[in-house]
Amino acid sequence: MQPGALIPILAAGVVAVAVSGCGRGSTRLRADQQVRTGVISAVGAESQYANVISQIGGRYVSVSAIMSDPNTDPHSFEASPGVAQTISTAKLIVQNGLGYDPFMNRLEAASPNATRRVISVQRLLRLPDSTRNPHLWYSPRIVAIVATAVARDLASLQPRHARYFRQQLKRFNRSLDAVYRTLASLRSRFAATPVSSSEPVANYLLQAAGTRNLTTWTLQADIMNGVDPAPQDLTAEDNLLQARRVKAFVYNRQVTDTVTQSFLQQALQHNIPVVAVYETMPQGYSYQSWMLAELHALQRAIGSGRSTRSL
Amino acid sequence: MHTILRAIVEPGFFSSYAVQLAAAFGGVVAVIAAGIGVFTVIRGQAFAGEALGDMGSAGGSSAYLIGVAPIWGFLGISVAASAVMELIGVQRARGRDLATGVVLGAGFGLAALLLYLGMSHPGTTGEIPTILFGSIFTLSSSNLPIVLTLGAITVVTIATLYRPLLLVSVSPELAAARGIPVRVVGASYLFALSIAVALADLTIGAILSTALLVGPAAAALRLTSRPHTAILAASGIGLGCTWLGLLLAWDSYYWPPFRHGWPVSFFVVTLVLISYLLSGLRRRGGSGSGA
Repeated sequence: MQPGALIPILAAGVVAVAVSGCGRGSTRLRADQQVRTGVISAVGAESQYANVISQIGGRYVSVSAIMSDPNTDPHSFEASPGVAQTISTAKLIVQNGLGYDPFMNRLEAASPNATRRVISVQRLLRLPDSTRNPHLWYSPRIVAIVATAVARDLASLQPRHARYFRQQLKRFNRSLDAVYRTLASLRSRFAATPVSSSEPVANYLLQAAGTRNLTTWTLQADIMNGVDPAPQDLTAEDNLLQARRVKAFVYNRQVTDTVTQSFLQQALQHNIPVVAVYETMPQGYSYQSWMLAELHALQRAIGSGRSTRSL
Repeated sequence: MHTILRAIVEPGFFSSYAVQLAAAFGGVVAVIAAGIGVFTVIRGQAFAGEALGDMGSAGGSSAYLIGVAPIWGFLGISVAASAVMELIGVQRARGRDLATGVVLGAGFGLAALLLYLGMSHPGTTGEIPTILFGSIFTLSSSNLPIVLTLGAITVVTIATLYRPLLLVSVSPELAAARGIPVRVVGASYLFALSIAVALADLTIGAILSTALLVGPAAAALRLTSRPHTAILAASGIGLGCTWLGLLLAWDSYYWPPFRHGWPVSFFVVTLVLISYLLSGLRRRGGSGSGA
C-alpha cells in the first residue's frame, strides 16, 4: 500500500471521549491537576483505540480521540490548533499506521517530546507497508495485543499505578472473551459461508468468523479508495448478488456512494440480508460491545436472514 | 477467427450489464455532443464549450453537497453559465473570449469552494475524480430517462433552428440583413450547447467533456464542408471513439502497471485525438488526388 494513496476515509472531527470532560479554558488547570493526581493524558487517533486506552487506564488517564467520524479524506484533514495542542501534551498515543492516519506522524514531528510513547499498531505487529487491509481494529486478537502494549506503556509512565493497569487489562481481556466465544460459535455454525462486502472494513472480523468473502479484492479496494471500479469487477459483483451466491452483504454504513448504493439495493431486491458495519466505533458502544453487536448482526443475517441497517 | 475475436474482445464484454448501460449512456451523449459540436466549431466557440464543461465541476460538487443526482448539478451550472455568457456578450466575435474567460475564472473559483466543502462532507468518497474525469461504468440506470429527455431537447432545438442557425453561424451580418433574430437563435443554440455539455460532463467528466464536443466535429469538418454530412460524420466519430474507448477500458483490466484497468475517459479522449489527426491526413490525401 502506498502510504496516503490507499486510504479509507476518515474524519476531521475532534471529539473528546474523555474520562474527564472539560472546557477549553480549563486546560491549564487540568494539566496542573494531572501532575498532582498522576492522570496521564493520552490520545487515540481513532475513537476505537481511544476507547481501549480509557478502558485500560481507567481513572488515571484522560483520553481524547482525534477522529471519530470516517467521512472526510485524511488528505484534507487539517490539524486545528486544538488537535496540535492535544497531541503535544499527550504522554501516550495509539495510532493505526498503514497509511490510515499519516497526519499523526506529522503532528507528532511538529511537537517533539522525548517522554511521549507512540504505539503504532502496524509497527507493534511488524506489519509490512504492503498490508492490504488497514482496518486492523476489526481483529479482536490485534486489539488484545494493543491493549497489552497500552497497559505496559501506562505502567512505565506511571509506575505507582502499574498494578491497577494490569488489573484493568485482565478485565478487558475477560470481557473480550465474549467476542471470542461468539466468533467460535459462528465458525462452527457457518464455516466457509459465502458473503460479500463492499469494502474491506470488517474483513478481519469476517475472516475470524470463518466466512468466505467472494467479492473481488480489487472492487473492495477501489471502493475503499474512492477509485472508479473496473467494469469486470462491477459485473462480477452484480452476478454474485443476482445469483444469490452469498448469504450476506456487508457494507460500510458511514460511507456510501452510487456504486455501494446500487449493490445494497440489489442485495435487498434479491432478499440477501445486509449487515451495516461501521468504520469507526459508533456512539454509545465500547470496543467489545461494538464487535459483539456486529457479530450478532452477522449471525442474524446468515442464521435467520434478517438485515441490520444500523446498530 | 474466433480466437482473434476473443483476443480483441475479452470475454464477458457484451454480456456485462455495466458495459451495456455505459454503451447506452456513452452512445447517446457522444452523438449529441458531436452533432452540436459541429456548430460550436463553425461558430468558433470551442472555448465557450470548454468553459461550460469545466464549470461543470462546480455543478457536480454542488449536487453532491445538496444530495441530488450529479446530472442536475452539471445541468444547472451549465445553463446558468451559458446565460451569464450570453448576457455579457459571448455572441459578439470581439471580446467573446474575454467574456468566456471571465465566466470561466469565476466558475473555477466556485468549483474550488464547492469541491473543498465536498471533501469535508459526509459520505462522498471519490467524488472529485468522478466529477472531473467521469465515471461512466458506475452511472445508475435511473439516469437514463433524464439523459434521453435532455438529449431529445437538444436535438429538437437544433433541428428546429437548423437553417437560421447555420446562416447565423456562417455569416451573422447576412442573417441579420435577412431579418433572422440573430441573438435569439444564438441564445437558443447556447442553451442546447449547455445541455450537451452537461451530458458530456456526466459521462467523461467536466474537464474532458470538451473533447467529445469539439474533437469529432473538428475532424468531421476536415472531411466534409457540408454541414449535415459533417453532423452525421461527427456523430459517427464520437460514437466510434466512445464505444471503442469502452472496449479498450474493458480489455485494459489485465494491463500493467496495476492490472486493474485504465479509465474510459483516457481512451475516449485519445481516440478523439487520433481521429482528428487521421482526418488531417485524409483531407490532404483527398485534395491531392483532386477529389
